[in-house]
Amino acid sequence: MTDPAAGLVLGIPARLILWGLALVAFGLFGRRVAAYVKVLKRARPEPRWDRWPARIRRFLFEVLLQRKLLEEPLIGVAHLLIFWAFVFYATSFFWNLLKGLLPFLPVPYADQAYAMALALEIFGVIGLAGLVTAAFRRYLLRPPRLEQTRDAGIILTLISVVLLSSLVGAGAASLAGEAHGWRPVATAVGGLLAAAGAEAAEAGALAAAMWWVHMVTVLGFLVYLPYSKHLHLLASPFGVLFGALEPPMPAASDGASRLEEFTWRQLFSGLACAECGRCDRACPAQNSGYQLSPKMLMHQVKELIMASLAAGGNGHALLPDRVKPEQVWACMTCLACIARCPVSNEHVPVLIELRRKLVADGELDGHLQEALTNLARYGNSFGQSARNRARWAQGLDFKIKDARKEPVTWLWFTGDYAAYDPRLQPITRTAARVLARAGVDFGILYEAEQNSGNDARRVGEEGLFETLMEKNLAAIAKARFEKIVTTDPHSLHALRQEYRWSNGRPQVAHHTELIWELIRTNRLTPLRRLSGKVTYHDPCYLGRYNGVYDAPRRILRALGLELVEMPRCGSRSYCCGAGGGRIWMEDVAGIQERPAESRVREAAATGAATLVVACPKDWVMFQDARKTTGLEDKLVIKDIVELVEEATQP
Amino acid sequence: MHFLVLMRMVPDVIEELEIAPDGKSLDREALRLIASESDDHALEEALLLKERHGGRVTVVAPEAPEVDDLLYAAAAKGADRLVRLRGVNPGLGVPALAGSCVAALQSSAGLLPADLILTGAQTIEDLDGLIAPLVAFRLGLPYIGVVTAVTEIAEGKASVIKEFQAGYRGEFEIALPAVLGVQSAEKPPRYVPVAKVRAAMKSAKIEDVEVPQPVAQSLDGIEVLSMAKPEVAGRAEMLEGSPEEVAGKICELLAERGLL
Repeated sequence: MTDPAAGLVLGIPARLILWGLALVAFGLFGRRVAAYVKVLKRARPEPRWDRWPARIRRFLFEVLLQRKLLEEPLIGVAHLLIFWAFVFYATSFFWNLLKGLLPFLPVPYADQAYAMALALEIFGVIGLAGLVTAAFRRYLLRPPRLEQTRDAGIILTLISVVLLSSLVGAGAASLAGEAHGWRPVATAVGGLLAAAGAEAAEAGALAAAMWWVHMVTVLGFLVYLPYSKHLHLLASPFGVLFGALEPPMPAASDGASRLEEFTWRQLFSGLACAECGRCDRACPAQNSGYQLSPKMLMHQVKELIMASLAAGGNGHALLPDRVKPEQVWACMTCLACIARCPVSNEHVPVLIELRRKLVADGELDGHLQEALTNLARYGNSFGQSARNRARWAQGLDFKIKDARKEPVTWLWFTGDYAAYDPRLQPITRTAARVLARAGVDFGILYEAEQNSGNDARRVGEEGLFETLMEKNLAAIAKARFEKIVTTDPHSLHALRQEYRWSNGRPQVAHHTELIWELIRTNRLTPLRRLSGKVTYHDPCYLGRYNGVYDAPRRILRALGLELVEMPRCGSRSYCCGAGGGRIWMEDVAGIQERPAESRVREAAATGAATLVVACPKDWVMFQDARKTTGLEDKLVIKDIVELVEEATQP
Repeated sequence: MHFLVLMRMVPDVIEELEIAPDGKSLDREALRLIASESDDHALEEALLLKERHGGRVTVVAPEAPEVDDLLYAAAAKGADRLVRLRGVNPGLGVPALAGSCVAALQSSAGLLPADLILTGAQTIEDLDGLIAPLVAFRLGLPYIGVVTAVTEIAEGKASVIKEFQAGYRGEFEIALPAVLGVQSAEKPPRYVPVAKVRAAMKSAKIEDVEVPQPVAQSLDGIEVLSMAKPEVAGRAEMLEGSPEEVAGKICELLAERGLL
């Protein structure tokens, strides 16, 4: 076997050249990586060192199996093929480099070891197929919101050169009689070379030349990598490993806009971003014509890091130029971006930090200011007296227990909209009747309940969230109960995942979970079978935030209804536009189609006559959207509890 | 520049108001107080002036339930000194309240002189908007009310905008020191996050100033005879039936009342 690193090149020992190139390439690479690490060290800490089994499991699925990329099958498969080809080629590269630099190692070159050489040529072909598919998609299909950069073209070319040089080298080795065993690709390429007029005598030199092309390209790639968008190739495995395992919410802070005010993990998202545009394709703000683009947000985080690297020092900030306040306020915190992101980027926490900054500086929409002032003073965003909170119950023919005065099994946390909105109060009464019919022992906190603070927290008013949480925890501490139930997914999320319970968190259920349990155990029996086609909207805070997808669907089927799914269902559900405090803010000019309007059209297109919801805010948003889209004759909006009532009332 | 803002807590009409057993006053046990809205605007205007011209802002408020929250919020917004007036009878009429406030301001070192004294042009308990002119009168200072902006302060004078009806505005010059009754600030009162108010509770100090000769009751020559809650005057009548029937009934009603 020949040693490609032996001999002279231009009169200089080849091995010396390899040493020089390797030292320069690794030096430049290392310097850039060290600079990134230094920037991240200036950021605030954020502990992400816990729950290793869960992190490793996620790494397996998201990095090694690329589950989220496969959600878009064409590019998903192509990317998976390129990824695994890359893994093999990287291994081979380091192996070859070590052997080239240190010839005394008692192993052959990677491409001269039979099993490795076979794997390389197979992955080479697979990788090329992936590259062709990726190029076809990028340049011919041109998917919306994919960033078209020169960078992408350079990288595709570089990887092609890496793979082709290896395959041509293998072919040349085969022609020279140096490839042993069953080497289908090498043999075929060797045949092609021979057909092109290559002589077996000069094939050995060609193989060595290809070896050098391959090595030099990879070394160049190594230098180019940390300067390009393919930095994601280095950063994203760490991004996934240190990604949030629950819906992320930044720890209390004064907000952030300057680089050193963010946490390292928030900045890291900028480095891991591949600008693939999956977040933009899923984002309800982006798709409605709001100025927010989660992808560009990540890009601006990266630009912030780059500016700091280029100019040094502090003072580089996202607000108000790199990211505009109207973009920050456009977010509905629906989590679609994070759910779709293949590299576990965390867009929403960055926006929440920016909102905290704006709130601290008093820069907020007048309507939002009014809602927050009302929350602080009256404990509800409606600006009504706390004494009116249980007024919805007045139309019932039974009295709801006061959980502060007598023990109950279920403490019902009603939430603002269900309690105060006159359009929703009849539905809240229906929920009470359904629970009573099933013999559920429940009570409410009457005027002691306050808004859960979930949305106050999402608009960046952390102090107000703390205050509301403390008041609610104090009120709940005075009640005697076993479990908590709520019809409001926003309250559910705060109570279930964000409240700091001093004596252990009680079980917190959504009413759909409780009602399904009642139906399943025959405590609530449908007396008549409902008929017709319905579709169901997954509320963001019930589905993506809390993973409750099945209970509402099981209820609908148990009632006899035919459930048809919208294209965007389950974890891909499309926000109604009310979340993250957007319900308190004014619409901005230039909106093409509000998220709720897009959603009711999607629902109507399924052929279902009823759009079923399980969140009070959804009901309000879709009722309005149904009117503005002229779907009043085609589509009815119903809370799931209204259907349960229809089927179970005597 | 020293800007002094006089702020008051007034009954919050979001909550239900109750009349005391004497039938002549509000049941102060049952009601909840809130910072008067136009006083909030007076504070905002003072803070804007401080940002523009430098100086300090002193906030003075008669003692009342929840008045500490008002004072700490003012500190969080940028007020420099917080003063709680003790010994002000909550049931006082406006003239007696003005007298108590002025006496307290004069008795305590460092509260006066102020270049501008700002207070709300009106509160729900002072619909006549008397407090500012009465304070000015007792201090012997010039006064202007229904102010919506202070455009300039220079050479011992201030230019202020006063708003009349239908969008008509006048610009006035007033010699300093002076008293302003503020209708609205140039910008809506700023939002101050809860965290900043909590921080102010730890760092800011509220000074107490006693009213020298507390007044037990109103000496205005006016006595409240009775108070009454609004009466429900007739209920709306719902017209029922098909759209045609309802339209017919509407026509009948309009004709009946001579409107057709």
